[in-house]
Amino acid sequence: MKPGSELRLYCPAQSQYVAPIRHALAAFLEALQVDPGARDDVTTATGEALANVVEHAYVRSSSKTRDVQLLARIDRGGRLSVYVSDRGSFIRRKPLPGRGFGLRIIRAIAQQLRIDTTRGTCVSMTFEGPAFLEKR
Amino acid sequence: MSDGESIKTIRLGGELEIGRKDEIRTALQRSGSDRAVLLDLSDVTYADSVALTELLRFCVSSSHDAIPVALVVRTPQFARVVQYAGLAGAFKIFGDRDAALAYLARSDTE
Repeated sequence: MKPGSELRLYCPAQSQYVAPIRHALAAFLEALQVDPGARDDVTTATGEALANVVEHAYVRSSSKTRDVQLLARIDRGGRLSVYVSDRGSFIRRKPLPGRGFGLRIIRAIAQQLRIDTTRGTCVSMTFEGPAFLEKR
Repeated sequence: MSDGESIKTIRLGGELEIGRKDEIRTALQRSGSDRAVLLDLSDVTYADSVALTELLRFCVSSSHDAIPVALVVRTPQFARVVQYAGLAGAFKIFGDRDAALAYLARSDTE
């Protein structure tokens, strides 16, 4: 993968945009020659973060701008960082049986997960491993 | 129990994700005469946690009614996301339709 490569997308936080964003991320990773298994995992984790925005971010928000932003970036160490952010409000809920699989899936895939709720919510996911190293 | 008589087959394909939540929920319905359900997900290329939640809801509800449900899954992404969600034990997953039907037939005789 070429260090410094990045993908930025802005979309309304609506369910019909989640798949196109995932597809764009998959195409970005394919162009960087990330193998299909790692590509699936990254897009799966990112899809969960995007679905969380669509389902929860703006439920209690009065913000007129209801969008979601995605930034995917490669650094020199062969590390892929994906940021999914919104301008809504983070809802901290008690875990319910049969719910909450999204964050569990992200935690199972990403090497690092951070959730910053200072202004809106930004979910930062880091993916590492041979799949993300620059191909020579 | 013979396929086509008391085993209901529900087929879903493509990407099972948040944008299709209502469609998935509508597809996952049983009728009173169903004695077993085969969920043929062979053509599913992607599944997210929203889809898994709907599938889990259907399987739990069927289990309460003593209706066995078997899933046919062929896509690696789908199989992995079930593992990542910690739901491997929640579904009866098979790699092909024949194995799923054999399981449902056995369930009927037990």
